Amino acid sequence: MGFPPPIPPSVLALAPLLALVAGALLVLLLEAFLKRKDGELPAFVAVFALLASAFFTVVSWNVGNSGVYLHGRLLVDNLALLVTGVLVLAGIAVILMSLKYAAHQDMNLGQLCGLLLLAVAGAMIMVSSSDGLVVFLGLEVLSVASYAMSGLKRQDRASSEAAAKYFLMGSFAGAFFVFGLALVFGTSGSLDLTAGLSAGASLSAFPAAGAVGLGLILTALFFKIAVAPFHMWAPDVYEGAPTPVTVFLTIVPKAAGLAVLLRVLLPLLSGETAAAAVFTPALSVAAVLTMFAGNLAALRQKSVKRMLAYSSIAHAGYLLVAIVAGDAPSLVFYLLVYLFMNGGAFAVLVAMSGRGFERASLGDFAGLGRRHPGLAASLSIFLLSLAGFPPTAGFLAKFYVFGAAVREGHILLAVAAVLASLIAVAYYLKIIVVMYMQDAEAAAAFDRDDPALFLVIFLGLLGVLQLGLWPGNALSLIRAAFNAF
Amino acid sequence: MSAMLSGLPLVSIVTFLPLAGAVLLVFFRRGSARAVRATALGVSLLTFVLSLLLFFAYDGASGLPELVERSSWLRGGIDYHVGVDGISLFLVLLAALMTPLALLSSWRAVDDRIKEFSFFMLLLETGMIGVFVSLNLFLFYVFWEAMLIPMYFLIGIWGGRRRIYATTKFVLFTMFGSLLMLVAIFVLQAAYSRAMGSPSLTIADLAAVPLSPALQSWLFLAFGLAFAIKIPLFPLHTWLPDAHVEAPTAGSVLLAAVLLKMGAYGFLRLGLPLFPAAAASFAPALSILAVVGIIYGGLMALVQKDMKSLVAYSSVSHMGLIMLAVFSLNFEATEGAIYQMLNHGLSTGALFLCVGILYERTHTRLIADYGGAAARMPVFAGLFLVAMLSSAGLPGLNGFVGEFLCFFGIFAANKTLAVLSVSTVVLSAAYLLWLYRRVMHGPLKDPADRRLRDLDGRELACLVPLVVLMLFMGLFPGTFLRKMDSSVARYVESLRSKAPVVTALELPGRPGAEATALAEPER
Repeated sequence: MGFPPPIPPSVLALAPLLALVAGALLVLLLEAFLKRKDGELPAFVAVFALLASAFFTVVSWNVGNSGVYLHGRLLVDNLALLVTGVLVLAGIAVILMSLKYAAHQDMNLGQLCGLLLLAVAGAMIMVSSSDGLVVFLGLEVLSVASYAMSGLKRQDRASSEAAAKYFLMGSFAGAFFVFGLALVFGTSGSLDLTAGLSAGASLSAFPAAGAVGLGLILTALFFKIAVAPFHMWAPDVYEGAPTPVTVFLTIVPKAAGLAVLLRVLLPLLSGETAAAAVFTPALSVAAVLTMFAGNLAALRQKSVKRMLAYSSIAHAGYLLVAIVAGDAPSLVFYLLVYLFMNGGAFAVLVAMSGRGFERASLGDFAGLGRRHPGLAASLSIFLLSLAGFPPTAGFLAKFYVFGAAVREGHILLAVAAVLASLIAVAYYLKIIVVMYMQDAEAAAAFDRDDPALFLVIFLGLLGVLQLGLWPGNALSLIRAAFNAF
Repeated sequence: MSAMLSGLPLVSIVTFLPLAGAVLLVFFRRGSARAVRATALGVSLLTFVLSLLLFFAYDGASGLPELVERSSWLRGGIDYHVGVDGISLFLVLLAALMTPLALLSSWRAVDDRIKEFSFFMLLLETGMIGVFVSLNLFLFYVFWEAMLIPMYFLIGIWGGRRRIYATTKFVLFTMFGSLLMLVAIFVLQAAYSRAMGSPSLTIADLAAVPLSPALQSWLFLAFGLAFAIKIPLFPLHTWLPDAHVEAPTAGSVLLAAVLLKMGAYGFLRLGLPLFPAAAASFAPALSILAVVGIIYGGLMALVQKDMKSLVAYSSVSHMGLIMLAVFSLNFEATEGAIYQMLNHGLSTGALFLCVGILYERTHTRLIADYGGAAARMPVFAGLFLVAMLSSAGLPGLNGFVGEFLCFFGIFAANKTLAVLSVSTVVLSAAYLLWLYRRVMHGPLKDPADRRLRDLDGRELACLVPLVVLMLFMGLFPGTFLRKMDSSVARYVESLRSKAPVVTALELPGRPGAEATALAEPER
């Protein structure tokens, strides 16, 4: 093996994480010692750290470096590597979106970058372990960093409110997780989420305490993913947080939480186990509730940001359908597509903001199709993808997820999911109506000199169209990853 | 001919040329309206010319899809698989013919955001043709759904006063049906993999899946709902008058001429061949709905005050007849249904163009605002008359051939329904002739009104090809029917072989019905 030079497997397994943590420390040090507070140096360091992390992930992938490291605390497998890829891409997108935004909104870019790296590292820890305590550790690192990121617009009351709300609710959810873990440990004698629970599940009757424990752990994860009925915090937080942070919150915790859910539930729910009898219906109900709660609430919104916040709740519902179906490839593909379309839509929202203000109400979008055809067309494509129209990637993502549900016999769940998507079409189209079919009262000019942001939008478009029309490579990569899963 | 073309992926070229044109338009400068219009028209004309090559290259002896192109696209049986057969060939031609005419008709009527308008028109053309040429269910669904987007924008941006309501209703209605169809596609896909061991979404393969009767019924209902909304079958038609009235002329033309055909085509291509037993058991119920649609649409057309909604309701009525013929499940009726789809496309397309021409002059579509227009517009009056008579099914014109074949087949299947369906002849003659009398004859409403000029060259170029085609299709139907024969025969044969119940479809007819029904189609 010429390139890369042989690295000890356990070091390579840790490398993506170490790159992020080192980057985070460096950024925070720079923050403390740098004279100019508005420089973009921290952002460069952060992007570099994320790229390094991505590089090590790819190397790990290429050399097939999967296994268990650090006495079983760290688990590197294809699921972990793929989701890590999604997390890192999301992190890079968030930073590129924030360069101008942070300056305009009086936000400290350095703090944002440091916290973001830590949060991504936390999410990465969550997905790369099956040890309950390590997952909890990752969850808390992610959460604490997220609370702080939500409140980064310190002058803005909505932002502070978001941080406070998120913090209070999040700590509560964290407690649920620990309590659940204690119960699981009590019944199975193991902190390992997959093995311990599976041992219980193979019995004819799932031990009640173990079931309650698992239920509590699911509750905590549902909270992070914003699954109904644990989603009440989400709209306020998503709306109040700075827009790039909203992108982060709607993608990273969801992706990490869903990956953990998949890891925990897949062995439990496959087959006619006692656990499946309890948790499959429960998950189905949660999925349906989430889709409808998100979509119905989004219908009534006057603010595009809040509408997209509710839409991201609904998408968590669709993603749960993949969990119910137990289909890992479609889940990961949906996550990847969701990263592009959701990130892209919010990126357009970022592009609409200016120095000291955001334009997020529906009225602000009136006549955008005439004034900024490129921006309006981009947002339309992202929205059509979110709505699931072919030939965008959003359609294909739904096609695979709902198809998997039907294949596994959950036809009614699939019917509910498509009906929920129909409701979603109504509000996504509402934004398009406003952009193209209504004229603005006053044409507001805005700053368009933000190459990094436009790069993000462009890459989003590329992703949405590429994954919609020629997803062959991505799909075979994902499928190959799970053949051995 | 076909040897010369054998190397070319002709079907793909016809399908995607408009899309390429649309992409090209993106790079045009804003404000270069003439260039944009000319390019769009040129691309769509070229598409039409190439689609004529399809007609010549298609042999039609075997009845199987020809000019087939196939390459694998995604796993799970999703292939890029296109081709034409006797059922789809003429619908492709229809779409390729109507698009340039629709573009030409909006030369003056649309002057806002021409670039976007032309872009969406070309996108729509690719979507329409794509639906007809797809031989893979996934591909079919992609085109079927993707086509909604350009139509949504066409109605929503360039439509009338209530355009946003109309276009949203259109999209939500259509999507409701097609999303349930999507679930049915999943079920079918899973059933196929389970039965055959390997996945496939090729339409011809899927017909071979053994399905339990209950499952077949559910799947047929899911597919049927999507198609019935599109047709639209009574009582799912309520989106149509709204969409038609609010759409710009070009949108109405394509909506009526091509989009409505997709529902009927869906039944012919998917609904019936995939689920023959279920189709046969639901045929009586759907036939009755079709007859209700015929009569209801006709009666509603009689009382409309707006010319566009009159033509829209006439579509409901005529599409009802086509559906009744499709559900008669025999050779004559099926061929008649396809022929009538083309006729309806031409005549209703022409009628919407005529309404558009009048509207451009006077900016009103209310029948009461007109009168005596024939005196000022003699050429227009002649062409309008032909379009109208074609729609009403006058012998010598295309509508007669189609209606005759339809009635012939319907009568063989069910005499009661045949008698009832013949009312379409009376009703359409009534509402159309009455419309013509009120608009074109009588005293001029306002003799000082100079706005009613006769047709200019561009408008002639829109209408004359359609009128010529109406005459040609009325006098030489064999040219067209010959190419359909073996495909239709194959289709009917496969239905009968799979569902013996088809032959025993007849509802109890009244004994006296026979004589009346025989006499009626002849007029």
